[in-house]
Amino acid sequence: MSKRSFDVTRLPGTAVIAMTCFVILYIPMAILVGYSFNAGKVIGNWEGASVKWYGAALQNQAFLNAALNSLILATTASVISTLFATMAALATTRTEKFRGEGAIHIILNQPLMVPEIVLAIALVIIVGQIKQMTGYTGLGFLIAAHTTFCIPFAYLPIRARLEGMDLSLETAAADLYASRFYTFRRVTLPLLAPGILSGFMLAFVVSLDDLIISDFLKSPGQDTLPTYLMGELKRNLTSEIYAISSLLLLLSVLIVAGSWVATRKKD
Amino acid sequence: MLDIRGLSKRFGYGKGEVTALHEVSFSIAEGEFFTLLGPSGCGKTTLLRLIAGFIGPSGGSLVLDGKDIAAMPPNQRPVNTVFQSYALFPHMTVGQNVAFALEAQGRPKSEIDPAVEKMLTLVQLLHLKNRKSSELSGGQQQRVALARALVAKPRILLLDEPLSALDMKLRKDMQIELKRLQRETGLTFIFVTHDQEEALTMSDRIAVMSGGRVQQIATPRELYDRPANRFVAGFIGESNFLSGKATGGVVEVAGGRIALPDATDGAVTLMIRPEHVVLSANAPDALQLEATIAQLVFFGTDTHVHLTLSDGEKLVARVQNALHGGLSLNEGDRITISLPDKALRVVKDEEIAA
Amino acid sequence: MSGPEIWRRWALALPSVVVIMLFSILPLGVVLVYSFLTPGDFGNVKWIFSTEGWFSVLFERNIFDDTISLSDANLTILLRSVLLAIVTTMITLVFGLPTAWFIATRAPAQRNLWLFLITIPFWTNLLVRTIAVQEMIRSEGVFNRILLALGIIDAPIQMMFTDFAVLLGMTYVYLPLMVLPVYAAIEKFDFRLAEASYDLYASRFFCLRRVILPLIRPGVIAGSILVFVPALGAYVTPRIMGGGKSMMLGNLIDLQFGQGRNWPLGAALSIALTVLVLLALIWYTRLTSGRKENDHV
Repeated sequence: MSKRSFDVTRLPGTAVIAMTCFVILYIPMAILVGYSFNAGKVIGNWEGASVKWYGAALQNQAFLNAALNSLILATTASVISTLFATMAALATTRTEKFRGEGAIHIILNQPLMVPEIVLAIALVIIVGQIKQMTGYTGLGFLIAAHTTFCIPFAYLPIRARLEGMDLSLETAAADLYASRFYTFRRVTLPLLAPGILSGFMLAFVVSLDDLIISDFLKSPGQDTLPTYLMGELKRNLTSEIYAISSLLLLLSVLIVAGSWVATRKKD
Repeated sequence: MLDIRGLSKRFGYGKGEVTALHEVSFSIAEGEFFTLLGPSGCGKTTLLRLIAGFIGPSGGSLVLDGKDIAAMPPNQRPVNTVFQSYALFPHMTVGQNVAFALEAQGRPKSEIDPAVEKMLTLVQLLHLKNRKSSELSGGQQQRVALARALVAKPRILLLDEPLSALDMKLRKDMQIELKRLQRETGLTFIFVTHDQEEALTMSDRIAVMSGGRVQQIATPRELYDRPANRFVAGFIGESNFLSGKATGGVVEVAGGRIALPDATDGAVTLMIRPEHVVLSANAPDALQLEATIAQLVFFGTDTHVHLTLSDGEKLVARVQNALHGGLSLNEGDRITISLPDKALRVVKDEEIAA
Repeated sequence: MSGPEIWRRWALALPSVVVIMLFSILPLGVVLVYSFLTPGDFGNVKWIFSTEGWFSVLFERNIFDDTISLSDANLTILLRSVLLAIVTTMITLVFGLPTAWFIATRAPAQRNLWLFLITIPFWTNLLVRTIAVQEMIRSEGVFNRILLALGIIDAPIQMMFTDFAVLLGMTYVYLPLMVLPVYAAIEKFDFRLAEASYDLYASRFFCLRRVILPLIRPGVIAGSILVFVPALGAYVTPRIMGGGKSMMLGNLIDLQFGQGRNWPLGAALSIALTVLVLLALIWYTRLTSGRKENDHV
């Protein structure tokens, strides 16, 4: 008998469409990475394999400067936003409804409800005025803006983790003579750690990904990786741009792989 | 040792307000195995959480050893809980779970380690001390939860349906185990359950609850033999209820009459356990009624005889097959049955929650 | 909950609330105010009340005879934005749903690999992905070079700076946003329900329509909103793929604050776009309300 058994999880055609999907997603990225190894400067003309554009990028002071800015910005914004979001998540979960809870919830999610370009415009109006009035043009504006839109992203996984947490665990700790702080340190925080980690990662990547708000708010010399890339893109498409893009792609692969490993270990 | 006085609890506010507990009062004695029994939503868990301090009362007082603890936070009450879901900390080992209360109290390590070992020995889990709590079976988790709650020597141990997640066989074993632990430690246990068999076999006294009120507090025996009202009679064991009319101490039921001195004039409800129904006319001091056998249901040790009375009311009788095996009963037979006056009880309707 | 407890919770939430109030809600309020002011001569605004900004969202005044007519340019962009966002959502759903199904029905070990593969583009920089898709269709890009090499065409086909290019770009960058929530819904689906429906004589299609789709609907709606909202307010992808020829609302807003030098119009367009997004979100909460778990007492 070669008759196949009836598989309820099979839907005809899904495998074909799924494969198409993965091919469509990966071919452009593969081609981008492929051309980044082109020895020639013009992308279309293959002049042999070389890593010289990676070398060029790593000696390009403007690129290195942008990378450093991105790193400082993403780290600061995600650390602050994760801290704030953790506090906010602790305030809005594991409780009966309280007065103002709805308002807090809406405020925390508000940056998600506004298109990025609108927030960028809104911020540039105000920041422009402040820059004029105070003369301050430091990274502070970018850090504040990034912290703002990172908060809801950090808040989401932390809140989800808290809501999934067995309420009786904290009750049990209180029953076993633990003070509020002791309960938090020994029970809540260790159980919340994976949520905080994924909130931090999400905030970090979202900050790293931002182009529009950084582009509108930056002062001279404050290029981040995306704004630098966009600036170069406007001038000319070169193999170096593809090399830098490939480096960013590699970075996200590393981050995803890293978080994959981290969450596997935790659970 | 524990006096509960006029304790009440309301949830929500305005139109959404629900009263979960209506001014409950009773006392629990030192070393007692006390059970709160009732269907879900009866307020038993609310009462337990009030005693533990997880929620605050809306009124009344809770006096433990002469001290009102109603306003005391749970981490200062000498009362520990075994949770229904066990609530073992998943990120800690068995040993760390058991040590938690002593560490939280800031006791020295030299005191904690032997205490943990002793508790784990008591529940026969010493060999699993370094396992993660999530790697244990249900029965083992149950024992860890017990050890964890007992290690700090509470004045009262609260148990919130701790056996409900276990299978039948394990549940029976744990019932015996719990009773043994309670005798060995001499502790006061307050046990919450909806399982009447569990309550009857383990408790010294039982409080039957319904609608946020205590319906009756009594020993298991008393509860079964002299239920205070219709709810208790129906909830504990099986019961038949017959509606009748009383005039001057004589009750009229389905064409029969019997003298029952404690029946007050008017409509009354009589209750009788199925094993007390006699399937013949020749019992002394009994209410004799005509009945038709509607159905016979065989249960191995006994047979349930479903009867229909002349006025259409239904009644179930239980006969033991070993004693009455020879009895020839057939569905459709018309017989005369006797309800002995000693087994008949006049029951009031229970207080209904407002 | 008691008074002090409420204060404690508010205090915990306060840093986040203050940051968002200062750097998101307050600036948006300023935008709203600006939409009712008069354009300055070199950008910025004059503090004179005017509804001209809002008027210009849909209409234009002829500078010679003062007649009023509908603004074709703005209307086209508005319509294009909404249509492209809807079509992007539909295409990503058509591709995303089967993909999510495929991933969710793999054996656990294999499933992680596929999930990993869908997560990488999800976490990759939007600009980088847009550059990648641009390489495919630009005049000197992959498609044109292949077609030229094969002798099918003599001159490159102009695919960039069209609605098609924007649609392709947005579909490409937003596809992972559709797959992940739909996957989460299918992963939770209890396949015994499908077995039960087959046991009750359902065909595969009937089971899909009557059992599976209704139960994974929250995931499908979440995915759709996750694609539709950023697509409607998209800026980077249409700027690169559409250029000045196929603009979307986001680019039109940018234009008013740049070359257009009409800040009130830009502000009015910003508010309009935000309202459109909010309407979509309200519609979403309507669709999914009543499905949330009840609060514990």
